[in-house]
Amino acid sequence: MVKHISQEELQKIVQSVPMLSPSASQLLQLTSQPDHDLVDVINLVRNDANLTARVLKIVNSAAFALVNTVTSIDRAISYLGERIIVGIAIGDCAGQLFDKELSGYESAGGDLWKHDLRTAIASREVVTQSGADISSELAFTAGLLHDIGKSLISDYLQGSVVDAVEMISTEEGLDYLDAEEKLVGFDHTQAGYELAKAWQLPEELAEVIRYHHEPAKASEEFRSLVYAVHLGDNIAMMGGFGTGSDSMRYKLDQNYSDYIRISPNTLASIMLNVDIEFEKLEGSLMSSGENN
Amino acid sequence: MGQIILGVGDFGASNSPSDEIKTFALGSCVSVIFLDPKTRTVGMAHVALPDSSINKAKAAEKPGYFADTAIPALLKKMTTFGCDKRGKGMVVKLCGGANVMDTNDTFQIGKRNALAIKKILWSYGMGAVAEDLGKNYSRTVSISVAAGQITLSSPGKPNWQL
Repeated sequence: MVKHISQEELQKIVQSVPMLSPSASQLLQLTSQPDHDLVDVINLVRNDANLTARVLKIVNSAAFALVNTVTSIDRAISYLGERIIVGIAIGDCAGQLFDKELSGYESAGGDLWKHDLRTAIASREVVTQSGADISSELAFTAGLLHDIGKSLISDYLQGSVVDAVEMISTEEGLDYLDAEEKLVGFDHTQAGYELAKAWQLPEELAEVIRYHHEPAKASEEFRSLVYAVHLGDNIAMMGGFGTGSDSMRYKLDQNYSDYIRISPNTLASIMLNVDIEFEKLEGSLMSSGENN
Repeated sequence: MGQIILGVGDFGASNSPSDEIKTFALGSCVSVIFLDPKTRTVGMAHVALPDSSINKAKAAEKPGYFADTAIPALLKKMTTFGCDKRGKGMVVKLCGGANVMDTNDTFQIGKRNALAIKKILWSYGMGAVAEDLGKNYSRTVSISVAAGQITLSSPGKPNWQL
């Protein structure tokens, strides 16, 4: 039987999570500004020896099949793109959160990271293929971070899967978010938002974490970005990459079309590109939490 | 016992009684299963999208990915086990094709996958005798070649058979 998490307990859980490394934190701040300079990204990475080594290792890994070895960090970053750099930095310092087994959702270790990476790729594809006026790089980063709250509440949801599934199938209008709140008092977006505050994430990323299942509630300024990740998340689940018991058990907000226009053919093309891109990135980024 | 694991867009077949064919976490994807009682062969394809016209190169490389190329590819594969090339006498079962909640037409890929598969099957004069399609949860599907028994699982639900 699960019990509710008190506000104090939630704060304790948040405080027990390691802080982001200074370079990851600064990268997130910098890359969320619409008119930032790539030179600043390069300088940030260059000042972090571990991150530099990881970036070079990844750009030279088999997945990217480069003919010549890349030894300069500038070239590595312009080749990989800043979204991959942000992905590496987050994976390096928050790897244990992403790789965690989500037993409260009956989901194996590593599933969350795969789901997040699929969501990141899908959110970016949604932006580029729909032509929406949203930063595609930011959509990728937001997709990576959107479900971070699941690793905070998963342990408390242990043994609740049958009840949650039962609740959703018997009570009209309930989705997994409602089930989480009924079971432990918080849903994963609320828990994630508390961590976003502790990590001092840029506002737009915090809003994605908080409202990716209820994008209409996001502030107007960031709403289209939140809708992009809302769709990216659903696309990741549709492609078979959820995090166990909650997969597909969320509502799609129909009003996305006020912000993002997608035809059935575009959606098919997005799903296909997600598969292709994921295959490419999976091998190189996946181990980010384990070996530095 | 041999286990043949199929990823997204893969297809495979076996007539070895000790084998099991399995595919994990079908979201909107559909698993097409052919059972041939005559040769005791079982085949499966993990179909992701309805129509190959969006990317012919991908269809050539991974025909199991699209409904319209998966069925011919699976049938062809099964002829190597002595099955009829147009699927005569085969038993067809379908699983998967889930949709997220409150979904709209655009996002009903699961439903479109199932429809596209049925349309292709009709063109061969084939039809599914059993199906477990739609709803809003992901399914893992396995079938033992010896018994032809399909087992489905999904977190939070007891396993069920088709």
